[in-house]
Amino acid sequence: MAQKILLIEDDAQTAGYIVKGLTEEGMTVDHAANGRDGLFHATDGGYDAIILDRMLPGMDGMAVLGAIRAGGIHTPVLMLSALAAVDDRVAGLTAGSDDYLTKPFAFAELLARLRLMLRRGGGSAQPTTRLSCGGLEMDLLSRKVKRDARPIELQPREFRLLEYLLRHKEQVVTRTMLLEGVWDYHFDPGTNVIDVHVSRLRRKIDDGETVPLIHTVRGAGYRLGTEA
Amino acid sequence: MRLPAILRSSTTRFFALVFILQLISGTALLLFVRHIIADELERTSRTLVTALRDDLIADYEHEGSRGLRQLIATRLATTGARDAAVLLDDPVGNHLAGNIEDWPPFLPFNAGWQVTPPLYRVGRDKPEQMGVISTKLPDGTHLLVGHVIEGDLRVRRLTGEAMIAALLLAIPLALLGAIVATRVITARVERIAETARRVGMGDLSLRVPADESRGDAFGDLADAINLMLARIEALVAELRVVTDSLAHDLRSPLTRLSATIDRAMRETDDEAAVAALERVGAEADTLLAMLSTALQISRAEAGIGRDRFVSTDLGRMLEDLAEVYGPLAEERGFTLTASGQGHADVHRELVGQALANLVDNAMKYGRAGGHIRLSVASHGDFVSLLVDDDGPGIPADQREQALRRFGRLDPARQPGGAGLGLALAAAVSRLHGGGIELGDNQPGLSVRLSLPRVRA
Repeated sequence: MAQKILLIEDDAQTAGYIVKGLTEEGMTVDHAANGRDGLFHATDGGYDAIILDRMLPGMDGMAVLGAIRAGGIHTPVLMLSALAAVDDRVAGLTAGSDDYLTKPFAFAELLARLRLMLRRGGGSAQPTTRLSCGGLEMDLLSRKVKRDARPIELQPREFRLLEYLLRHKEQVVTRTMLLEGVWDYHFDPGTNVIDVHVSRLRRKIDDGETVPLIHTVRGAGYRLGTEA
Repeated sequence: MRLPAILRSSTTRFFALVFILQLISGTALLLFVRHIIADELERTSRTLVTALRDDLIADYEHEGSRGLRQLIATRLATTGARDAAVLLDDPVGNHLAGNIEDWPPFLPFNAGWQVTPPLYRVGRDKPEQMGVISTKLPDGTHLLVGHVIEGDLRVRRLTGEAMIAALLLAIPLALLGAIVATRVITARVERIAETARRVGMGDLSLRVPADESRGDAFGDLADAINLMLARIEALVAELRVVTDSLAHDLRSPLTRLSATIDRAMRETDDEAAVAALERVGAEADTLLAMLSTALQISRAEAGIGRDRFVSTDLGRMLEDLAEVYGPLAEERGFTLTASGQGHADVHRELVGQALANLVDNAMKYGRAGGHIRLSVASHGDFVSLLVDDDGPGIPADQREQALRRFGRLDPARQPGGAGLGLALAAAVSRLHGGGIELGDNQPGLSVRLSLPRVRA
């Protein structure tokens, strides 16, 4: 069944772009152009996720979020905002949003985060001790990694990077998601420092193998998986 | 010669002024009281003497010289006349009556009230000071009527002594008064100064507390300062609205721009078009980064984010930074190291961003194959975060310019640089109540951020 997304966004062009993109990805999208309508739709329920703009005419995004959460609706909310400051991000997260994305964003970033949010909502929170993908195996207890029979030596940070990729295998993860998830950096490091880390990891994982596991997704980020 | 600082201070002068004025007024008051008492005592004696003389003269007019002599004897015998002194002499100076032996040589025969040197009275073993009046009677005899004022003098002496004691007591009291007055004034001024200081640190919503001092000079000062603060706050708020909505307004078309680039990239297979689109996308990203940094600087300068300071291990932060940037630095031919220990209450993201920008700058402007050193050190109430490179550095006369927003020194040197890295670092250090310093690493640039260890 197609996943149902509610988009609350006043900027027609941005909304059109998001609706078009998500529909292409096979999701069903309802669009509300102001906070009041959005809240009405949200309380109606039945959505798998809500994308909520921070600045809305009529009713501010934060107020809408507050009302949704006060109404006992736990649908995951991804906030969009033109306010880039970290403080706003923190305010949004503490107010009950599940993720926060600042404008302008690449559609791939929005999609990756939305997918992550949807999966998190449905997935089990069972603790795992082993992660694997293709012939690649990671033992979280002994902290050992091997591909087929070949053991791979990793630096602690490379280990965490690979762990993050394995936990989100077959999903697109963006550079920002890696920065936040692996390094806990919530600011823009300016240059694409992540690319160098990933290419080092890739050398250790994929060099000499016939099937590469770490893929670069143009305009978006990276994906770990067996499919090319 | 210049006075020592403590003597030049207004507080000290005010203290001294209050102290001296209190002593002067205390002394004046005591002198006045002493004068009143002395005056009253003398007036009493004088009244007694005048009354006795008038009695005696009235009697003389009635009873003549003989009657007078008798009355003198009677009067002197009464107990009420213990302090009385009387002398009646005949015209050639022979003693006729009274308890004084001889007419004092200095005293005219007809004189008003005056205080004599000590005189002997009959039957007394020591001379006594007295106030006297002398009268020449119609038959040529001279009458001297007096009143011993030794008692008055003792009272006067006692008053004097009491006055000195009171003055000695007044000195500590005056000191206490001066201390209290100085404290009160200093506290009032300090309250205003404290508000101004905290507003200076960025909390623009603070006002000088309205206390009981309405209508006085302090009240006026507080009102004037509050009026000024309200104006500043309104202006800053206005500026913030303008920058925020500017950011919003600029970012919305940017969102659409990158969306369009995004879509175009997904929809075309033409390699040349993709390459061009990637370049356009990178330019859009640069524009966006500049906008974000400019916004961040404005917000930091306005003191936003001060409530998000947390105790942070800065040594760890530098190590993390070196770890994130290490591979990239290595790829570009730099070595990047972090060292030192230090903790401080900081806005983690902003300090991280500022340091990241400095590292980025060092890689842009540093000498290829050079060494970038991150270090932290504590001294006193401050920690220093240092980002040193061994590139060409910045000449001393251009350092101030380099700290300004969009103050890039040589536009030809680095077309991609936004020229905001140092300005952001400066704004962030000011947000923390610290400062930034550009130094010479001999060779290279040494950027030092000084941050207070504990939130000011």
